[in-house]
Amino acid sequence: MNALVALCHFCELHGPRTLFCTEAVHPPSPSPPQPCSALLGDQGERDGEGLTMRANSSATQRADMCEGCRSLPASHPGFVSVDSETGIRYLSHQHPRQPQLFSMVRQACVRSLSCEVCPGREGPIFFGDEQHGFVFSHTFFIKDSLARGFQRWYSIVMVAMDRIYLINSWPFLLRHLKLTIQSLQSTALKVFDTEQGVCPQRAVRMNSAFSPAVFPHQRSGNAARSLTSLTQHPNLWASLHASFSWLLKACGSRLTEKLLEGAPTEDTLVLIERQTEQEEEMNAEGGGNKPQLGQSESAQGRGFLCGDDGKPEETAGPKFRSLRHLRQVLGGAEFRQLAWHVLMGNQVIWRGTDRGLIQSAFNILKALLPVGCVRVEWYSSQYEEAYRCNFLGLSPDVQIPAHVSSSGTAAITRTSTNGRGTQLLKSETRNLQLFNFLSKQPLSPTLLNKLEVALTNENLSVEVVSHCLLCLKEEWMNKVKVLFKFSKVDGRGREDTQKVLALLGATGPGEEDNVRLLKFWMTGLSKTYKSHLMTAVRGVERTLSQ
Amino acid sequence: MCVLVSLVCLVLVHSNPVDMPGRGHSEDGDSGIARSASLSSLLATPLPSPGSSSGSGCASSYQRRWLRSQATSLQHGPIPRWSTEEMFSLSDESCSSNPAMARRKKIAVSIIISLPEKEEESHSFQEFFFSHFPLFESHMNKLKTAIERAMIVCRRVAEASQRVQVYLCRVMEALGEFRMTVWNLYMAPRITEPVWLTMVSQSAERNQLCQRFLKEMSLIMDHGAKNQSVFLSALLTAVLMYHLAWVPTVMPSNHLPIKPVCQKHASHTVDLLAKSHPYNPLWAQLGDLYGALGSPVRVCRTVVVGRRRELVQRVLYVLSYFIRCSDLQENTQPPGHTDSPANPCPPQTTKPTPLSERTNEKPLTPESELTQPALFPERTNEKTLRVDFVDTSPAPVSERTREKGPVAGSAEPSPFPEVTNERLECAEVGQECFGYNNDSVGAGLEHILASQSPPVQRVKFTIGSPREAEHEERQCGLHRKLPHRLLTDIRQSESSDSSLGDSDEEEPLPRQPYTAAEMREHELPLPSSCQTESRPSVNHFGRSLLGGYCPQYMPDFALHGISSDQRLKQCLMADLEHTVLHPALDEPVAEAVCIVADTDRLCVQVATSQRRVCEPGRLGRDVMVSNLIHTLLTSVLQLHTLNIAADFCVMHLEDRLQEIYFKSCSLAEYLRGQRRVHVKELGLALGIESSDLPLLAAVASTHSPYVAQILL
Repeated sequence: MNALVALCHFCELHGPRTLFCTEAVHPPSPSPPQPCSALLGDQGERDGEGLTMRANSSATQRADMCEGCRSLPASHPGFVSVDSETGIRYLSHQHPRQPQLFSMVRQACVRSLSCEVCPGREGPIFFGDEQHGFVFSHTFFIKDSLARGFQRWYSIVMVAMDRIYLINSWPFLLRHLKLTIQSLQSTALKVFDTEQGVCPQRAVRMNSAFSPAVFPHQRSGNAARSLTSLTQHPNLWASLHASFSWLLKACGSRLTEKLLEGAPTEDTLVLIERQTEQEEEMNAEGGGNKPQLGQSESAQGRGFLCGDDGKPEETAGPKFRSLRHLRQVLGGAEFRQLAWHVLMGNQVIWRGTDRGLIQSAFNILKALLPVGCVRVEWYSSQYEEAYRCNFLGLSPDVQIPAHVSSSGTAAITRTSTNGRGTQLLKSETRNLQLFNFLSKQPLSPTLLNKLEVALTNENLSVEVVSHCLLCLKEEWMNKVKVLFKFSKVDGRGREDTQKVLALLGATGPGEEDNVRLLKFWMTGLSKTYKSHLMTAVRGVERTLSQ
Repeated sequence: MCVLVSLVCLVLVHSNPVDMPGRGHSEDGDSGIARSASLSSLLATPLPSPGSSSGSGCASSYQRRWLRSQATSLQHGPIPRWSTEEMFSLSDESCSSNPAMARRKKIAVSIIISLPEKEEESHSFQEFFFSHFPLFESHMNKLKTAIERAMIVCRRVAEASQRVQVYLCRVMEALGEFRMTVWNLYMAPRITEPVWLTMVSQSAERNQLCQRFLKEMSLIMDHGAKNQSVFLSALLTAVLMYHLAWVPTVMPSNHLPIKPVCQKHASHTVDLLAKSHPYNPLWAQLGDLYGALGSPVRVCRTVVVGRRRELVQRVLYVLSYFIRCSDLQENTQPPGHTDSPANPCPPQTTKPTPLSERTNEKPLTPESELTQPALFPERTNEKTLRVDFVDTSPAPVSERTREKGPVAGSAEPSPFPEVTNERLECAEVGQECFGYNNDSVGAGLEHILASQSPPVQRVKFTIGSPREAEHEERQCGLHRKLPHRLLTDIRQSESSDSSLGDSDEEEPLPRQPYTAAEMREHELPLPSSCQTESRPSVNHFGRSLLGGYCPQYMPDFALHGISSDQRLKQCLMADLEHTVLHPALDEPVAEAVCIVADTDRLCVQVATSQRRVCEPGRLGRDVMVSNLIHTLLTSVLQLHTLNIAADFCVMHLEDRLQEIYFKSCSLAEYLRGQRRVHVKELGLALGIESSDLPLLAAVASTHSPYVAQILL
């Protein structure tokens, strides 16, 4: 919990004093760099400064500390406990080391033992403000045979900035502080009883001449006894450290939140599945460096949009930079045809000498598809069948089998570069030939139509276009899921399927293409998703048959 | 339980008017400025945009919680989050033309709540009280405001003898209101199984839940044919637009789901954050329910009005799926477990003593009851609120109330017993306002006079025992208006203005003559947590603020139903204004909104604290149905009619909600760096229709705060 706990004492000689204080030091944020973290600065350094500043001024007053005002001896470095799970360190000293906290605790201590006292002078109370923090305080007496009135007054304060949190925790704090207090009281009571048995103080005091001025001094060394001596508990401060640390931890974890987040997208699932497969392969091969899941996650920020996997090395030379760029270079009609082939799952063969150019084109084109639908052969020296790859880069001299080039199920693009270097791609448009594009009209899957609108709108930045594309893909993936459930899992008939297509908005103009797209994209669903749907059905069947 | 509220007792103490040095006329205006300044600084709070990376999981929930944990952290020293006006402001703006005459009175209000006799009932009320403290406090603030007004009004009464009567009547009326609200807050019926929370907490019965949810939803849609379906679409548009906590629950995560696959899972990052940087989960939950996730911060409630009980309940049930919040678990020691790490002197470390000697020792029980806790918000302010739990013997009132029906059966300790639909009695006001005859100030008092019940002995009030305020030492420093800072000036070291420490001798700060290396603390093991069991928490807002078909309008509930909007119409605007001034959320709020859905007239209106009612008889403006929501609803329900498994339909519903989230990302990306929006362009380019724009903008504001500034 964002709080600190302190034990305070009203010393007969010196008034309210802080005896012992446990604070929780939180690790730096586990999150990626936050705008605020820079402001927090190096806490440790600051502590040091404050201390040297204040230490000189207070050096003269140190002599005022009596036994009763002190917990750990001056030479004691304090206690620390580390919560290994969270990295929180619980530190105990007589005072908080940070000057601001010092004065907060000081305030809390003085108020808890002077004005903010509950009736009967023993019990819980709440006070505070935004400037000095809020305080849950519990005052109590400890028996002392040598003290005025045979008892000494203490308080345990819990200080926090979150007022509501502290009040919410009231019943919990009260329950556990009572345990602490009662335990201290009963231990001290035993000591008190023993001492009174040996030497009844009442009688001693009745018999001695009393003068208020000299009373504290009469008892000289005993005037202010430490809590250790009152409880005869040799490890009292270590135990209190443990109790307070536990209290801070337990109060912070008393309530836990269960917060759901959205299911991962299909693209994420597929990427994770592929990575797991890779890891397994590597393990099977006998080790090697395991790719870390965390690494890939951080790389996924942008990767989701383009399905970035196994990108080959960067090479110099002209490149396609975005879908819009590709469209500009190819020309609207050609781009539309190419995109159509990509969306429908036809094989796209790109022949040329410039590997880098072909790779950049594939990287951009595969963003049109769900990750699960993308199989790329970046640059091959021989033809690969369509079931192995839907993006195939070839060197110009590789022969394409006749059945492929005549079937109409592949888009073959050919580029030849003459100039090298930073030449703009526009100049190569002339050298770019597209073969084998179907002339079937109209080529109008709804998704492509919408994408083209975004691409042609020059007011939209490349980022906006990729967001639009993501929206479109997710929208159609959700239709794919329904169709998969309907036709593959439940095995419904044609008539029902038609109804589903209608309600998904896949019918009407471009229906044939839409359906074709849906069917192709179905192959890109993650195994996780498919098996989940299958088992869910079996689960339901089981419950029905029971 | 009725005992409880009938025993709420108001103690008012105030002193003679005293001049307040340094609190002149000008400062009243000052407070107003400070308040509006807090709002603008809130708007300008630089929240990073997690929307910039689309795969960021629960980013906005995480962000909110992280900022909270930082804002309430002690590690940076005290950072006042806002300066609360804790004082009674009793200056009558219209009368105080002469600043020298502006005088302040010192007033303290105590509310004493007597607990029920049965220990179990007493225990559950206490648990409820402390976990719902912000709501109680908000009603205290309302009471405070009413007393202020009473003070001002009674000053206008010419005749001295009547002045007290007018004052008393007003105060008693406010007290009656307070009691009734508290009683209602505790006793009103709740939705027994809110769909979303039940799904979160019990994944085993998911299928049945989904079935029931879809069935109820399609019943609403089918019922009145077209009108009804438009009604539900409109209602859902409004709910999804303002109760924004659903957004993080559809933001895709980057982690492989553990189990059940493909379904949502608990956010790991938030879990880790809670452990390492604790924040108040109850606060987070309250913010979720009120939809305070956007920027600027808006809080929202939804009220469903209708005479057809079944229909209203059905609508409430369906909405309990869309109004979301996190589920809370409570880690407690199993009952009977007395050994606690909180005990610094466990038996083995102390010298064994014969039992007979321990005469004064009380047996330790984990559930040691509260004896006399008291709650004192700062003394340094003029007002002292004090809540006393006094275990007094039950008043004779309990006899009477037990006959009243709703209370009779509720012997069970559950804080939410079923309450019959019977209309609640107006809270009794136990003192007669005699001699009252001033029409100009007495508006609204008739019903108090009319509904007088036999004097309740427990209600006692002491007013006007004049006592010169002895503390003239109000330090100006304490009242100094602090600049509103969140995390900006953490570094600025604040001089401790220790007013108390000044009078006292300064406690020496221990000298640390050691170098950093020497100062290494003795490391001790952290005590292993004593055995705890995790059980669903009962006293959290998710269970208490999703109300059922209530006998009366409830100002606190995130969702509830009522049969008539009569009282709603009376209170709504004042309640919304109050919410903005004294948000129960413990953070500044820019706007308070209430969605009112009328199932009889099939209309949905949104009332807001920002705009006054335009037309007479109307609560707010009508909701434009978002086309996205309408198609979403219809296609989910069509899937349902095609006999697709309910579980799958709900998954599809979630997918469609996720689509809305993605669309909001596009919108945010589009608006980045823009000054003005062309709605037409949005439609063409992004496929965003104008009917969807308000919804998408609200969703976008949860992850990209700049959106609101461009669109609104």
